[in-house]
Amino acid sequence: MKGVLATDRRGIRELGAEELVGWDEVTQGVILESFEVPMEENVAHIRPEERPYSDFSSYTATVASWRVIKPVYNRDICIDCQNCWVWCPDTSIISRDKQMLGIDYDHCKGCGVCVEVCPTNPKSLLMFSEAEEPEAALAKWPEKKKKEKK
Amino acid sequence: MIEIRWHSRAGQGAVTGAKGLGDVVSRTGKQVQAFALYGSAKRGAAMRAYNRIDDKPIINHAKFMRPDYVLVIDPALAFTDNITENDKPETKYIITTHLDKTELIAQIPELQDKKDRVYTVDCMQISLDTIGRAIPNAPMLGAFVKVSGMFQLDEFLESMKRVLAKFPQKIIDANMEAITRAYNEVK
Amino acid sequence: MAEKMELNEVEVWDGNYAAAQALRQAQVDVVAAYPITPSTPIVENYGAFVANGYIDGEFVMVESEHAAMSGCVGAAAAGGRVATATSSQGFMLMIEVLYQASGMRLPIILNVVNRAIASPLNVRGDHGDMYAGRDSGWIQLDAFNAQEAYDLNLCAFKIGEDINVRLPVMVHQDGFLTSHTAQNVYPLSDDEAYAFIGDYKPVDEMLDFTRAVTYGAQTEEDWHYEHKAKQHRALMDSYTVIDRVFAEFKEKTGREYKRLESYLMEDAEVAIVALGSTVETALLAAKQLRESEGLKAGVVAPRVFRPFPFNEIRDALANVKAVAVLDRSCPMGAMGALFNEVSAAMYASPHRPLITNFIYGLGGRDFSLEDAKAIFREQKGHADVGYITTPLQQFSGLRGPKLGFYEMKRSK
Repeated sequence: MKGVLATDRRGIRELGAEELVGWDEVTQGVILESFEVPMEENVAHIRPEERPYSDFSSYTATVASWRVIKPVYNRDICIDCQNCWVWCPDTSIISRDKQMLGIDYDHCKGCGVCVEVCPTNPKSLLMFSEAEEPEAALAKWPEKKKKEKK
Repeated sequence: MIEIRWHSRAGQGAVTGAKGLGDVVSRTGKQVQAFALYGSAKRGAAMRAYNRIDDKPIINHAKFMRPDYVLVIDPALAFTDNITENDKPETKYIITTHLDKTELIAQIPELQDKKDRVYTVDCMQISLDTIGRAIPNAPMLGAFVKVSGMFQLDEFLESMKRVLAKFPQKIIDANMEAITRAYNEVK
Repeated sequence: MAEKMELNEVEVWDGNYAAAQALRQAQVDVVAAYPITPSTPIVENYGAFVANGYIDGEFVMVESEHAAMSGCVGAAAAGGRVATATSSQGFMLMIEVLYQASGMRLPIILNVVNRAIASPLNVRGDHGDMYAGRDSGWIQLDAFNAQEAYDLNLCAFKIGEDINVRLPVMVHQDGFLTSHTAQNVYPLSDDEAYAFIGDYKPVDEMLDFTRAVTYGAQTEEDWHYEHKAKQHRALMDSYTVIDRVFAEFKEKTGREYKRLESYLMEDAEVAIVALGSTVETALLAAKQLRESEGLKAGVVAPRVFRPFPFNEIRDALANVKAVAVLDRSCPMGAMGALFNEVSAAMYASPHRPLITNFIYGLGGRDFSLEDAKAIFREQKGHADVGYITTPLQQFSGLRGPKLGFYEMKRSK
């Protein structure tokens, strides 16, 4: 399942599925190149999905299979506060110009931190079974909770 | 091979003196070695510095030596340190003291049978008069030049000037005066 | 542009100052250091050279030796020519990062002014720290006097930075015995020295923004072994470059270095194998014994401790009858490390001399000409009767009852 802003390079292989070469072929000093070609332009000015990440970059690896539950994103409730983007330990929240776009399911491990830190009512991110279709999940979204009287 | 042992207190300039001597001697084409036994010694602690001088490269790195010259640049160490340790029948002693030679030897039993090999000079007073501080290493070099006869005083002073080149002229002049005075006063 | 320094044809320098002058002539970009006796003057003088305009470089003050080597790793990964110095406890604190430097193939130059390791605390020279570095993946060069401390520093840059080596290099010298002993040193001019070493050519430098690289990747059992094997191979093979650099140095200066130094070995019947300033003292003892007693004594000394000159040791000792291997480090529960390595080399030979081990000189205990002569004479005794009459491990210059361990087994 490809997430938003999917590219040809992102998540094209299982992490750890690199070809195992002999001692004579490993890189000197365990130095790993991030990109396949020289970057004449400042990398920071190129969007991630347009960068030529190399085969040894984690960008081209996927850990989607590690996940048993997943966050689903509800655009209708989100206030674009960026809390989930800040807290995600795997940079798997995709945001562009301060607008939340969705989840990078190639790198999300399903930890649920984004759901914990979501401040809306109801939450704009909720955990569902990995097998749940997004449309079905959105259809089950809970109503706004009323404040409990004390 | 000529071997020299300096008896000094940390801070009196024995290491600088030994290295300075080495520097001067190297300019005559000889091979030199200058080292010291110190490290964590505090200023004022008794310490020893050593020189070896030879025509061939010096490859002996042992600290043990039977000195040809013993240079004592602190007046009290002549009494408290074992200045005759590992000496030879021909070892010469140059001792800084305000006493005259007979008075000094009378108080140091170990020197009784070496009277004709003991030389005295008041390096402390000379350095106070010329350099203005109790740094007795430069005068001791002057006394050594005289006693050893290894160099002409003029040549030695010229070489020493080059060694001291990085210092202000005033300090160079004071050192030259100290060396010259000790050369003339050592007995 | 850094100012040049006018040097005399012959200078009287101690080992520390000689090493500092070599760092200046190499125009080291970064020295990150936490000074410790007896290596302090090396980095202190580098700092002074920078402050006085003789080096276009940076002295980085840090809070520990661990940080010092970490700073060196960072600066070397960034793409600079990097060096530092340490001793003893400082070396021990650096060890964790030494493996990082060699694993990342960063040609840092570390001057190790050998000093005993506490406890008990001691500032003087023995080889405890040098031995503690022997599995760290660094090339280890050993200087026996101040001139060699200078020469080997110049060679170290050229060896370590060679594109076929790219490994960090330690230059060892004995604390105080070399580091604080001034001797005649014949330096190269600044221009000659720099021309010999050459410009630094960065490899995989992190400041190359067109080519982003990762340093310090994690490798588990699927990759780690291959990387370590490749690094070991690079260190083993570095001898070809070491030999070439030594040959170029000889051409330039007339001063010859070999990975294994052999003195008076052509007809030697007995030999001492040693490291550091002891080598020269032992050589003087051998010369005097040849003259006074007709004892055919020789000396063998690894100039390069890593990569270990295994084949050269095997060949150098092929014709001697008895060998004493001297370890200036207490092996604590084993035979001395140098003894073990020399013995291993001789086991690969059809000719196996009688080999004994002497521990000596710990904490700077003097090793005199007479000490060396006594060891030679004892080897002659072994050679004459054809077996080892003493314990296999003995202690030279130790007070108290004679201490010794293990004996030769003579019958099956």
